[in-house]
Amino acid sequence: MISLQHVSKTYKNGVTALAGVDLEIQKGEFVFVVGPSGSGKSTLIRLLLKEEEATDGDVYVAGKALDKITPWKVPHLRRNIGTVFQDYKLLQDKTAFENVSFALEVIGKPKHVIDQRVPEILDYVGLGDKLNAYPDELSGGEQQRVSIARACVNRPLVLLADEPTGNLDPNTSVDIMRLLDKVNKIGTTVVMATHDQAIVDAMRKRVVELDQGKVVRDQSRGVYS
Amino acid sequence: MARLDYYFRETAAGLRRNGTVAFAAMSTAFIALFLFGLALLIAREFDLVIEAWTGNVQVAVYLDDPPSDDTVGRLTETLQQLPAVSDVSYEDKTAACARFNELFRNQPSITENVECEEVIPASLRVNLADASQYEQIPAALGCAPNDAGEVECSAPGVRAVADYRELLDRLVAITRVLSIGVLSIAVIMLGSAIALVANTLRMGMFARRKEIGIMRLVGATNWRIRVPFLIEGFIEAFLGAVAAVFALFLVKVVFIDRLRGEIEFIPLIRNSDVIAVAPWILIAAVVVAVIAGTIGMRRFLDV
Repeated sequence: MISLQHVSKTYKNGVTALAGVDLEIQKGEFVFVVGPSGSGKSTLIRLLLKEEEATDGDVYVAGKALDKITPWKVPHLRRNIGTVFQDYKLLQDKTAFENVSFALEVIGKPKHVIDQRVPEILDYVGLGDKLNAYPDELSGGEQQRVSIARACVNRPLVLLADEPTGNLDPNTSVDIMRLLDKVNKIGTTVVMATHDQAIVDAMRKRVVELDQGKVVRDQSRGVYS
Repeated sequence: MARLDYYFRETAAGLRRNGTVAFAAMSTAFIALFLFGLALLIAREFDLVIEAWTGNVQVAVYLDDPPSDDTVGRLTETLQQLPAVSDVSYEDKTAACARFNELFRNQPSITENVECEEVIPASLRVNLADASQYEQIPAALGCAPNDAGEVECSAPGVRAVADYRELLDRLVAITRVLSIGVLSIAVIMLGSAIALVANTLRMGMFARRKEIGIMRLVGATNWRIRVPFLIEGFIEAFLGAVAAVFALFLVKVVFIDRLRGEIEFIPLIRNSDVIAVAPWILIAAVVVAVIAGTIGMRRFLDV
C-alpha cells in the first residue's frame, strides 16, 4: 500500500528531514511512527500526501509512484488518503454534519450520496446525536471524532494521523485509539505519527522509530522505546 | 446542477464577506471602463464632426447647379491627371443630402430649416497624395481669391474650391489628443482596476485559507477551489462595465442631448453610438477579470 525506497528529503534551507528511509507498509496494517521532535515524522506524512516531494528515492502510495503523478492528478491521490491532525482542522462556522459533508461536496459528490454517507459515518464515530453541533459546542475528543469522520467519509485506502491524540487527555485518547482501531479493522491502512508512549505501549502494533531522518527500529507488536 | 449551485453559493458568500474591498474593486473597474468608453465616444464625436465639415476629404470642388455629366467627367479627368491628387469621387446632390440628413438625423431643427436640395451643391471630393502640392488644384481650375477674399474659378461648371486640409488636420489632431489623453488615463485606471480585483481575490483566499487548506487535503481539484474566486472577479468587472455603460448613457442624456438645437452644424453622438461602444467595454471588463484572476491565483494555489 505504501512503499518508500531510499527516500531522502532535504529542505531548501539545508535541513535534512529524512535520510535514506526504506519502509514497506502492507494493505490493512496499523503502523505507529515514533521518534523525537524533528526526527522526520511530519515530513514522512507530507511526502505521502505529495505536499512535499522527496529529494531522492521513490515513494509509492496505493500502487502509484508519487513523482510520476502530475500536479493536476494530485487531488485524486488525496481522495484515497484520509488525514487527521492534532488540531482537528475543523471549520468553526460549520456544524459537524457540514464539516464532514464539505469534504464530499468539494470533490463533486452528489447530494444524495452526501445525505446518505455523512449521517452514517458520524454515527459510526459515535456522534449520531450531534450532527448539528458546532465545533465550539463539542469536546476535544468529539471534535477529533468529527475530523476522523471527515477523513473516512470518502472511504480512503489509507488514513494518515499526525499526533491525533496530542491535544487530548489520556482517557479521551484511548477512545480515539479505539476508533482508529475500528477504522483499521474494516481494512483501512492506518499510519499514525505520535509521541504518546502510553498509547503505543498499550496498542502493541507495528512501531517504526525515526531518529534524525533514519529508521532506527521497525518492530511488529512493538512498544514506544 | 449541484456543481453550479455550489459555485454560485461560494461566490455569493465571497462577495458578502469581502463587501468593502469588492466594492472598491468594482468602483475602480467602473471608472476605468467609463473613461475607456468616453475615449471611444470622443473619437466617435469627432469622426462625426469631421464627416460633417469636410466629408473626410482634404479638398472639395463644388460644382455649378445643376452639373452636366460632361462637366463631371471632364473635371474628374483634369483632377486625376494632377500629380498631387490620389483619388477623386463624385458626390451628387442626392448623396450629399442623404449624408447631411443622416448626420443630423436627431437634430430636426437643422434638417427642417435647411432646404438641402437647394443649398447643398454637388461636388467632386478630392484626396491628395501630397497635401503640400495643394496649389495644383486651384491652378488647374483657374481659381484665385478675388478682392472680397472669396475664391472664384474660371473653369466652366466649377463654383468654388474648398481647402479642408488645415481644418481636417486640426480636427484629427484634436481628436487624437483628446481620445489618446482620455485613453491613457483609462489604461492607468484599468491597471488599478486589475490590481484591485486581483487584491480582492487574494484577500478572499487569505480569509478562507483554512477552508482552502482542507479542500486541498481532501482532494478538491485546483479548479474547484479557484472557480468561485474567478467568478467573483468576473462579477466585479461585469458590474463595473454595466455601471460604465449606464454612466455613458447618462452623460449623453445630460450633456450631449442638451446641446441638440443649441449649436449649429455639429452632428452629435446618438444612442446607437453609445450602444456601439458597449461591447468594447464588456471586452475590456473580461480582460480585466482574466488578468486579475491570473495574477490573483498565482502562487497561492501551488499543490
